Parts: sequence; C-alpha cells; structure tokens
Amino acid sequence: MKLFKLLTVLLVVTCAATLVMAAEGGNSRKGKYLFKKSCKPCHVSGAEGGELTPLKKTQKQWDRFFTDDKHKSKPEALENFSDQDLKDINQFLFDHAVDSDQPETCG
Amino acid sequence: MQKFFSLILALLFLAPATLLAQTPTVDDLQQQLNDLTDRLERAERHVATDRITWYGDLRGKVDSLHYQDLTWNPGINADFTDFFMKVGSGELGALNVFDGSGNFNPGLSQGSALDTMFVNLANNDPAQFQGLMQAMGAMQQNGTMPGIGAFRLATAPKSSDLDNDILYTTRLRLGMKAKVADKINFSGRLSMYKNWGDSTGVKVFDSWNAFTMDGSNGGATSGDWLRVERAYFDWKDMGGSKFYLSIGRRPSTYGSPSNYRENELRGGTPSGAMMHFAFDGITVGYKLGEVTGIEGQVVRFCYGQGFESQWGNGEMFNDAGTANLEDTHVGGFNIDLYNDGYSLVQLTAFRAMDVNDGFKGTFAFPTQYGALFAPTLYRDMQKFPNFNFVTRYTPSTVIGDINLAGVNFERVEENGFTWFGAVGMTQLESNGKAGMFGGMGNDAVYQATLTSDASEVYMTPVKAMDDQTNEGYGVYVGIQTPAPMGKLGLEYNFGSKYWTPFTQGQDDAIGSKLATRGHVGEAYYIVEFNKNTFLKVGGLYYDYQYTGSGSPVGAPLKVEDVKDGKAFSLMPVVDTAWDAYASLTVKF
Repeated sequence: MKLFKLLTVLLVVTCAATLVMAAEGGNSRKGKYLFKKSCKPCHVSGAEGGELTPLKKTQKQWDRFFTDDKHKSKPEALENFSDQDLKDINQFLFDHAVDSDQPETCG
Repeated sequence: MQKFFSLILALLFLAPATLLAQTPTVDDLQQQLNDLTDRLERAERHVATDRITWYGDLRGKVDSLHYQDLTWNPGINADFTDFFMKVGSGELGALNVFDGSGNFNPGLSQGSALDTMFVNLANNDPAQFQGLMQAMGAMQQNGTMPGIGAFRLATAPKSSDLDNDILYTTRLRLGMKAKVADKINFSGRLSMYKNWGDSTGVKVFDSWNAFTMDGSNGGATSGDWLRVERAYFDWKDMGGSKFYLSIGRRPSTYGSPSNYRENELRGGTPSGAMMHFAFDGITVGYKLGEVTGIEGQVVRFCYGQGFESQWGNGEMFNDAGTANLEDTHVGGFNIDLYNDGYSLVQLTAFRAMDVNDGFKGTFAFPTQYGALFAPTLYRDMQKFPNFNFVTRYTPSTVIGDINLAGVNFERVEENGFTWFGAVGMTQLESNGKAGMFGGMGNDAVYQATLTSDASEVYMTPVKAMDDQTNEGYGVYVGIQTPAPMGKLGLEYNFGSKYWTPFTQGQDDAIGSKLATRGHVGEAYYIVEFNKNTFLKVGGLYYDYQYTGSGSPVGAPLKVEDVKDGKAFSLMPVVDTAWDAYASLTVKF
C-alpha cells in the first residue's frame, strides 16, 4: 500500500505541475487541422498544387517557406490565414518534417 | 532653390554611375553560375552515392539496484512411486545399504549408484531421508503409493538482501533509412548495449534475464557487439492497392505506450505492453482508414518465427536431441483502430504455436548447478568456482502454445499532458510435456534414471505436472506531463500469476517491468537541455507476487511460499526490488 500512497502523492504533484505550463508559438495540432482543411484540397496528387506532405521539406526549409517564400507561387493562398494560423501550420509542418523524429513503425 | 536643383542633378548623375559600379557583369554572373553548378553537382553526387541516411542515439546510464529477500530454494517434483518401483525391480542397480530386516546401514555400502545416493542423502539431509524411508515403508507394508512429491535440493531456503550500488551501462543505437524505389524503403537499426567493464556477451545463468538470446539481445547487456536489432523493408501501396508488405527483422520493440518512458515517439509497431521482443518475420498491412475514413486505421497481419527446431541444433545426428522440437511460429493481428498522432487505440491478438521449453541462447554455466545436478562435473568445478564455462542452450521439447490479446490506448492533450493505459490477457496452453525447467506454466515431474555406466542415479524430466490451460492478466497505466525544464512521468503495471507477455526485450536492469507477475511503480523526471539531449532521473519499485516473470516455462509459485520453504525454484527468486537510475541521452 505504501507504493499506492507514493503514487497518489506524485500524481497530485504532477497535475499541479501541469497547471503552470504555458504553450508558446504554434500549435501543431491546430496546424494539422488547418493544413488538412485548407491546404490539402490543392495539394494532393493531380490537383493544382501537386502532392505536398510535411515530409517534402526539412525543418529549416519549412521555416524559410513561412518567413521568406510565403507561397510566392501563389501569394493569395495565404491571405485568408491569420498570423496565428500560419504559425500553427508552420509548427505542424516543422514537427513532421523529413528531418524530424518519426515513429519507428513498419508500413 | 537653385542649390536644391543642383544637388538633385548631381545625384541623378552620380547614382547610375554608382549602381553600374556595383552591378555584376554578365561574365560575373556566368562565373557565379558556373561555381554554383559545380558545387551543386558535388552535392548531387554526394546525395546519389550516400544511399543510407544514418541517425542514432547514445545513452549513458547508472542504476543502483537493491533486492530484498532474494531467495534460493532449489527443488524438484519427483515421482516417488516410479523411484521405488525401479529400486524394487533393480532397474537402478544394486542396493546394499539395507540389511535383511530393512534397516539402513551405510556400512553395507558397496559403492553402487543407489548406495551412494542413499548414503549422501542420509548425511546431507537426514529429515528428507527419514521422510523417504517412511514413504518406502508405507508402500511396502500397505501398498500406499507415494506418488509425486517435492524433493528439495537444499536443506533450507537461502535468503538474503543484495545491493548493487552502481551499475553503469551504455546503449548505442544507430538507425538507418534508405530509399530503394518509389514505394520501397529500407529501415534498420544497429544496437549495442553493454555494462561497463564487460564485453563477454554472456552472463552466469542466475535468472532468465541472464540468458543471451535472439529476442532480447537489444535489451540485455551483451558486450560491445553491434547487433542488428532491426532490418526490414517496406513496400507501400503494392500494385496501387492499400496493402503494404514488410519483411525482415521487425520493429517490434519500444511500441506504444512504453515509448513515453524512453522520451521518444512510438518506437515499434506492436503494442509495447504486450510485445517487446525482436522477431524475424513478415507483416502484411492494409490501410483500412483510407476506406473507412478513420484516421490512421491500419490492419496488420504479422507472422514470425521465434525458434528454428533443426538448423544449427545438431540435427544431422538425427537423434533424440532434436526429436521432440518443433519450429515456433508466431502469427496474429495488430490493428491500429485509430491513430491521429495524438490519440492511439490499438488491438493485439497473437498466437505462438509449438513453443519449446526455452529459446536457443548462451550463458555461463553456474557452478551452483554443478553442485546440484552434476556431481562428477562438480568434483572439478569446485576447484575453479569462478570459472564458468560458456554453453549454448537448446531446448528439449515442445511444451504447448501461447495466446496473447490486449488493447492499449494513449492520448496526448493539447497542453502536452499524456495519459495511457493497456490491458492484456495471456493464455498458456500446456501439452503436458516438460523440459528441465518445466512445462508451459507448469512444473516438471522428474524420474530417477541410471547413467549408462551405472555409476550414478540422476533425475530427468519426463512430463509436466498437468496439461491445463492457464490465463494471466496484465494492466499498465501511466501519465507524462510537461514540467519545468522537461517532463514528469508516473507509471504503474500489474501482472497476475500467469501473466506472460513477450516483453523480455525491455532493457530494465532488474528485468522487464511489464513482464512482472506482481506490482511495479515507476516515477521519473526528464530534463531536456535541448531537443537532442536529455537527462532522465527516476526510480522503479518491483513487488513480485509470483515467480517466473518473463518466462512461460515453469509453474508460477508464490514468492512467499518459496521464502517459507514450502515451494521450490531452480532459479533465485526476488521478493521486492528497487532501482534508482539516472541517464543522459544524446540523439544525433
């Protein structure tokens, strides 16, 4: 039972620690949603923009895309996104870029 | 005003001259283009010839290991009825140490195998000798069959604590990726896991964890050898379908949710709660999610071979050594029901067919076993108590089948808080056969045999205690939360009496925590210095309820019963243990 008491105390401490955390920068999860909803329609095989996945670029290349390139082939594509939206999409693409850590599963 | 216009005029003349002076000529641009082309060609050449992308990680770790009530109480189940019948029939040779009235008299010994056995037993364990005499008397006088009973090999359990204050280890993993063709990729990982100051590759056989074998090489310290932990190819979208094929040494370790304590992404395909074992095999997957619209839904059929019964086992002698062995095949389904990168629900259903009483492997033979089972050998071994000859173990017989089923779940909340859980069931189907260490979840029954030169009576396993099927259950829950400078994690797992998952490849120093038949709690703190460097400090506490964690061979016995001398185990048994550890990992 000592083990359970110890785990309970640690659980409370853990939850308390969570509350003091604050997210900074882009939200990868929101970025994924935005990317699928707004980018994918043009960026699948056979569509206007051609197939595009996060694995197409490195992390630095994705950062440069959002700071320098800004979708210069079709700048108006980014007009409907807020700055936070773009930060979220950038974060998602950065987190899943070709040089990011990947799940080590088969298939 | 005139001055102003003059200034403007001067600037108008000067500006083009300045610009012209800074603008490169066409020749300059051509030269720069040539330089860039030259550099790009070198980069292209490098990319074309550098066919493997390497990455990896290096972990230095210190563990402080502490075992409480470490007990060794060796013994076997002996068929006393068979023994007395053989004594009576003379099958075990002459018996001279009983006089005409049936009284024991060691002075009558003529050195036969039975004479020596009875005299030694009377000298070394008088209480057990008296019990044997009473059973023999009851059988002669009343015809009462003694049946199968415990025969202890030590007069009393040896129990003590053990502290290993410092154990240093280094784990190196080198990952490989290569693109073979448009839809075909190669992946691999070379791994070295060693404890400092030891590159022998074998350990003295004092636990199942000390057995160097195929499935757990990546998780058991085995010297400075760089082993192939995984090597396989993936052929995606075969023929334009949603099927993929993957063949080779599988990514079957560090799966979800056991990856969180490693501070890495999902490290393998199957459930980490059920399987953490290197397999050679084949996976056929189908991306069902592209049909159902459920994100990340994949159905996989996996097949592998865990044991080869002939090749390399001396099969060319074609005798009893390999006669009772069969290849062990493992097959089943591994299904990601849902996986969006933040939530995962996974189902597992596997069956291991024709499981033998162990795997092929190497270990250093313990002198203690020489004393118990090999008196002739021990006569010389005791002169060299720290000389342990390295031997290759081959199991002796098929003992049954194993079924595994389970479900695991994980979820990463938006603030990074992660929680997960897994439940599983393992089923051990005994076929009634046994080797030296027992049958499937079952102890062996030993019968007395006479050596070919009639010099010694020895005990040989002939069958398991029964052919029953037994189920075990396991639970694994945990959380990981962002914390100042890193992450904090808490985990707990429990395994019931017959809980036997394939997680022996976990690299926990005391033993795979997820294979534990009992309770395990773990707390850790990860300090991330940067995205590729982290320190992990934590502790593990094991409370073993039953013996044999991590092994389907042998009956699980109550640890308390072994401590009290009511039950016997050929392996030392741990009651409780804790491991305080710190590790520094760099990824590159």
